[in-house]
Amino acid sequence: MHAELVTEIVAALGADAVLSRDAELLPFESDGLARLRQMPGLVVFPESAEQVQAVVRACHRHKVPFVARGHGTGLSGGALPVAEGVLIVLTRLNQILAVDLENHRITVEPGVINLEVTRRVAPMGYYYAPDPSSQVICSIGGNVAENSGGAHCLKYGFTVHHVLGVEAVLPNGDLVNVGGSALDEPGLDLLSVLVGSEGTLAVVTKVTLRLLRAPESVRTLLAAFQTTDQAGDAVSAMISEGIIPAAVEMMDRLTLEAAEAAVHPNFPKADAVLIVELDGPAIEVEELFTLVGRVCRDHACTDLIIAANEDDRARIWKGRKGAFAAMGRVSPNYYVQDGVIPRTKLPDVLRRIRELEVRSGLRIGNVFHAGDGNLHPLVCYDDTVPGQGDLAEKVAAEILTFCIEAGGSITGEHGVGVDKASHMPKLFAAADLDTMQIVRCAFDPTGICNPGKVFPTPRLCGEVPGPYRAHPAERAGLAERF
Amino acid sequence: MATHAASTPEEVSSLLADASAARRPIVVRGGGTKASWSHAGTDGREELSTRGLNRLLAHRHGDLTATVEAGAVLGDVNGELARHGQWIPLDPNWPDRATIGGIVSANDSGPRRHRFGGPRDLIIGIEIARADGVRAKAGGIVVKNVAGYDLARLMTGSFGCLAVVLNATFKLYPLAPASRTLVIDVPDAAAVRAIVKALDARHLTPTAVEIQSPPTRLLVRFESIPASVNAQTDQTAKIAADSGGRAVPVDGKEEEQQWAAHRDRPWSCAAVLKVTLLPNDLPNIVDLIARTTGADFVITGRAGLGVLTVGLNGTPASQVAVIEALRKRPARTGSTTLLHAPDELRAAVGTWDPPGDSFKIMQGLKRAFDPNGILNPGGGPLGI
Repeated sequence: MHAELVTEIVAALGADAVLSRDAELLPFESDGLARLRQMPGLVVFPESAEQVQAVVRACHRHKVPFVARGHGTGLSGGALPVAEGVLIVLTRLNQILAVDLENHRITVEPGVINLEVTRRVAPMGYYYAPDPSSQVICSIGGNVAENSGGAHCLKYGFTVHHVLGVEAVLPNGDLVNVGGSALDEPGLDLLSVLVGSEGTLAVVTKVTLRLLRAPESVRTLLAAFQTTDQAGDAVSAMISEGIIPAAVEMMDRLTLEAAEAAVHPNFPKADAVLIVELDGPAIEVEELFTLVGRVCRDHACTDLIIAANEDDRARIWKGRKGAFAAMGRVSPNYYVQDGVIPRTKLPDVLRRIRELEVRSGLRIGNVFHAGDGNLHPLVCYDDTVPGQGDLAEKVAAEILTFCIEAGGSITGEHGVGVDKASHMPKLFAAADLDTMQIVRCAFDPTGICNPGKVFPTPRLCGEVPGPYRAHPAERAGLAERF
Repeated sequence: MATHAASTPEEVSSLLADASAARRPIVVRGGGTKASWSHAGTDGREELSTRGLNRLLAHRHGDLTATVEAGAVLGDVNGELARHGQWIPLDPNWPDRATIGGIVSANDSGPRRHRFGGPRDLIIGIEIARADGVRAKAGGIVVKNVAGYDLARLMTGSFGCLAVVLNATFKLYPLAPASRTLVIDVPDAAAVRAIVKALDARHLTPTAVEIQSPPTRLLVRFESIPASVNAQTDQTAKIAADSGGRAVPVDGKEEEQQWAAHRDRPWSCAAVLKVTLLPNDLPNIVDLIARTTGADFVITGRAGLGVLTVGLNGTPASQVAVIEALRKRPARTGSTTLLHAPDELRAAVGTWDPPGDSFKIMQGLKRAFDPNGILNPGGGPLGI
């Protein structure tokens, strides 16, 4: 590790905020995507925006790459360290700074946990809408980086719809404010670019979020079907009735078995289960809820369980939100995929996944945000069987190909990170990626901010987009392409 | 001033490539309804009309998405989408003339932003032609997608200074089976704020909550199933009465006329501003405008969100005074932008608030997207 850099960072943050021994660094070698590992050069824990600035400035001065990390729950390797780089862990920036209920605003530091926001304002009847399954542990800073969604984003949108402003440290160490407390801060919409940029453009140090008033009524039901096609058709029928549920989730037989074994939600045995939640004014929810029940019965549902109280509802959601972790009960290892398809392509894509399951010999469980076509296939494998890990990776990659061919996307909420960077050219043309690179270079011309993420073969900034030509730095032997 | 009419993406690309090579400034024009907003003047600039690019490229009604070319008029598009009972839930100014490209580029929206958001909240994909003529896409046709940078939102509100929008894909909503608006006469803006807070406290879900002044009124619209519309309008009428307001329900044709008139009100004024604020500051801001201008003003806007359209008549000095007073507010708690204004006023106060500390990045983006400075030079947000 660069000795001067370490000295500068220790001087700014204090020795107790800097880890450099291998044994200390080890826990930080991966994020939520544990199969990707890379030891960082240094791990630092700033406690203020000024300290983040000091770290980033030092990195900028010494041309050392850095990666920002929250609680490390990301599933695409977005917070995977860079070798000999600095990992900036933001968990000590964990204060809720201001609650402004009159204006439905809350300002927090990036290390604050998603669910803490709702917990703080729930007693007063408010909540923060984005609710990723990891909300008990994931951080708001990570949510901003990934543009996190969750089960309820069908009706309420993603993080980008709920962040009003951020304070951020640019890759040169400058502190900037983007957006604000009021809507429509004049200027180019940098906020929308920062949200979902996977930490490649800046390090966010403060976030102003929009709070929502808790709905008057929430009703949740669970409907079991003999086939996933029937369940999918039922969702289509609801949408064509003009209903936008707060959430529609689907689980298939394998994920139901896993959830049952792990958290005992007492779900019916079926090939597919839909969880449908409506919220809003009581009178509206009652009428539409009746309609949803009728639609499910019209599509031959075999069981219809209506949550009678908050405990029932919590039990249903526990079964769903615990589904990923529950896969450990039915398979020694599993690969979580995240793809998106136009919702109407669900039967076709599911059929292809079933065929792939037979062809590969690996079991594939499926959890969907069925309302918005976001699939989470879970590819089961056993790492002790030689070659199975690689096979699982190939199978998961093939599912992404199905998504792309259906007109969808390679990620709905987990991000591209390192994991899917190589898939980006399948989804986007070279010109599209070049254009995104223009944005990256405007923020980070020296390429030190979370390099190696999102884009497969990053261009050096200053290159003319188009066919490959040697960059002046390459010709001078100062840089190389790999 | 030469006007080029493009009717294919290829034509747009080649026009831009030529203009870039020759360093000839170009201003993109759709319906021309907002051509004067933020504009740095048209002298010597060529225009690129997108009106020939006006097709509805796809309506995936089962997926609630649609892809539309930039030159298509919003009203026409929504007419088509209505065949399947859906719409792009935008009700910006001049919906029967404004084009998709113009609405996106100006990020213009209307009363129903309260429930559905603005273009920035509804756009899910975009295809652009860059200044060098290269065509590029971002986002896609699915509502949930985090692959790559969000260029669709970056283009939204960029006033055509980074690239030319060729087409955009939006999330759609079903048309509601029933609608009713309460027109509530209230004593003052404080009463407006009190009613807005009460609507929120009672968990009501209006699609529009608009202030209108003078005389001060609140327009609250509900769109849902009939039972919900009935129940919520009844509750709102009671809330209004508690705050000293008198509510008159309107629906059907009368309701549409009421909203069209509301939307058009500020635009007959000499100058029209966009004023944003924290929702709780509404009474103070309305008072400030009234106090500073005398009586000669029109305010309409999103009372729940804090986005107002303010029309000013009166003397040039009083117009300057109100803008300067509004711009004294603390940073990031509200902005004041000239939309339509006489040149003298624009020269006196500037179109935009002074830029903040992220301005350098915006300038860098402009330089990187448009190195020869041909796209609406000086006419982008904050004058970039």
